[in-house]
Amino acid sequence: MSVAPVGSPRAPLTRRRLCRTAAAVLALLLAVALSLAVGNRAIAPREVLDALFHGGDTEAAQIVLFLRLPRTLVGLLVGAALALAGTAMQGLTRNPIADPGVLGISQGASAAVVLAIAFAGVHSLSGYVGVAFVGAALAAVFVYAVAARGRGGATPVKLALAGAAINALLVAVTMAVLTTRAAALDEFRFWQVGSLTGRDAAVALRIWPFLMVGAVLVIAVARGLDALALGEDVAKGLGQKVATVRIVGGLGAALLTGAGVAAAGPVAFVGLAAPHLARALVGSDHRWVLPTAALIGPVMVLVADTVGRILYPPSEVPAGVLTALIGVPFLVTLVRRKAVAA
Amino acid sequence: MTTTAAAPAPIRPAGYALLRAGPAAFLIHRRAALVAALLTLVLAAGCVGYLSLGEHVVAPGEVIQVVRGRPSPDGLVVGALRLPRLCVGLLAGAAFGVAGALLQTVARNPLASPDIIGITQGASACTVAALTFGIGSYAVLPYLSVAGGLLAAALVYVFAWRGGLHATRFVLIGIGFAVALRSVTQLFLTKGDYLVAQKAQVWMVGSLNGRGWAEAVPLAWALLVLVPCVLWAARAQRTVSMDDDTATALGVRLGRTRLGLATLGVLLAALATGATGPVDFVALLAPQIARRLTRTAQIPLLCSALLGACVVVLGDLPARMLFAPTELPVGVLTAAIGAPYLIHLLVRGHSGRRRAAGGSA
Repeated sequence: MSVAPVGSPRAPLTRRRLCRTAAAVLALLLAVALSLAVGNRAIAPREVLDALFHGGDTEAAQIVLFLRLPRTLVGLLVGAALALAGTAMQGLTRNPIADPGVLGISQGASAAVVLAIAFAGVHSLSGYVGVAFVGAALAAVFVYAVAARGRGGATPVKLALAGAAINALLVAVTMAVLTTRAAALDEFRFWQVGSLTGRDAAVALRIWPFLMVGAVLVIAVARGLDALALGEDVAKGLGQKVATVRIVGGLGAALLTGAGVAAAGPVAFVGLAAPHLARALVGSDHRWVLPTAALIGPVMVLVADTVGRILYPPSEVPAGVLTALIGVPFLVTLVRRKAVAA
Repeated sequence: MTTTAAAPAPIRPAGYALLRAGPAAFLIHRRAALVAALLTLVLAAGCVGYLSLGEHVVAPGEVIQVVRGRPSPDGLVVGALRLPRLCVGLLAGAAFGVAGALLQTVARNPLASPDIIGITQGASACTVAALTFGIGSYAVLPYLSVAGGLLAAALVYVFAWRGGLHATRFVLIGIGFAVALRSVTQLFLTKGDYLVAQKAQVWMVGSLNGRGWAEAVPLAWALLVLVPCVLWAARAQRTVSMDDDTATALGVRLGRTRLGLATLGVLLAALATGATGPVDFVALLAPQIARRLTRTAQIPLLCSALLGACVVVLGDLPARMLFAPTELPVGVLTAAIGAPYLIHLLVRGHSGRRRAAGGSA
């Protein structure tokens, strides 16, 4: 809605957007630095830089290189994936509260992974990503189909409720599997709440190709998302192939959610909050919103993870718990705005 | 409104029977009475089945002997293990059913159930917090869970208030708070040591596993105290389901009545959650099914209570037996039934529609 007033010169707008994107990059760098330096054993920034650029055998260097760096990388990827997926979903459904977590799509991915582990004997990380993608896509299609039926189409409240119902159902399925298969429970408890604990470099290596494909798909339809924001008819009138935009964007969002969940479990509300923050910074043009959201998502995940590490020192609070606490105020503010509740 | 005792020929709406006892007179919905009687029968049969079935099968005759206090070789299994668990299930189920009925009546929306709008999550967050900080006695926990439920309800109410209470806004904000409170619970679980976490984890999914008299007795007392309030609610319910203009014209203090009904609903839901943990969807399901069975304009409270008890008891039986040595939490089973029902409600498009406030004389 915050389009520049008619007749205003383009250059200041672009400059402002560049400035704010630069600020987002700065915030991301700061979050990465914190994630590398803070933890059970605090490491001075100079030592972190030393370890990054020169390696070394000191204890601090080992911690940074082999524990915190992989974890930070995974956090970066997951945050970007969920933020992009959330932005695409909000654009596609024209619904400000769309988010992989709220709509039950993350839960679809995690239920699929748990089922695959328990019954299909899938044990490789790329297997998880594939299964998670299928689960996310199925859940997305189902939630949207349920919400779109009945009076008024897919309104925010119907989408949220369909998501809540699917969430409850899938949590029940996951719980039933985990209760009856003790072995599955032990290894994959983190799939109930998203967490970065104990992720290594292999995770980041396996999911980044999926992420790239998903990101390319979503960014490819950025113009289409802008047109869709004006309504389906206007989008058609502007020459957009609405069905193609929906399918390509939906595929991209499902791929991104699947990859994010396979790596870290369902991290709640990143996909909800990041796009709104991005829009507040750079306006409603999706070619700017998507990259900015991809910068802000990782900031949220990394900060949540870092805070989780220092909150109750010996044990770690899962990142998903803290992102939910950060994200709910956003949901409340959005819902209190008049346009949504009506 | 209905006790026109002095009138010579009281107006009797169709489908109702008039019951007189001295100066008092009651209108009884015939179909609702029939449904209630049938539900009582089903529930009684379910209870006997619940007590006799399991890893060790006991003959129904023997079960009745044990319940009547006669000495029996099966006294331990039936009397000490299954009976208290059954009592907790019955009481909690009935409480969830009535709580759902009251909240749905006040909000005029089937989705305003305590487990969707964050009340049971508030109760569990408070209870888990207490367990984490080492307050584990069964005497205190029910109060704490009630406090948590009331606090959550108050928060949702305050944040959803914006020059009036809009039903969809209320539900959406409730969903948000439910998620946040679940996270708070998780936060406390991480803080607590391993044993506390395990104890709380069992409690959190909504299970009758290992529940005994220690939970049943306080719950029973608390519910007994609330019975007069529920009787008042059954009467007040009729006025609240009228539209605002009619009620105001009749001189009903709508705001106060609504607040009273909602508070009572929250109390009941929080009490039940304190005993069993959050058993999902019972509060949503029971009143809706009850209303469809009785075809009354209002949600019938007695039938909701009976149905809630039926759902929990009949749900816990397969939960106990399906994967015999391991017990499923009953919440998993009720969610597996309840979630598809919620989807059905959404697909039918009933969620937002206001029911006609018919049925008045």
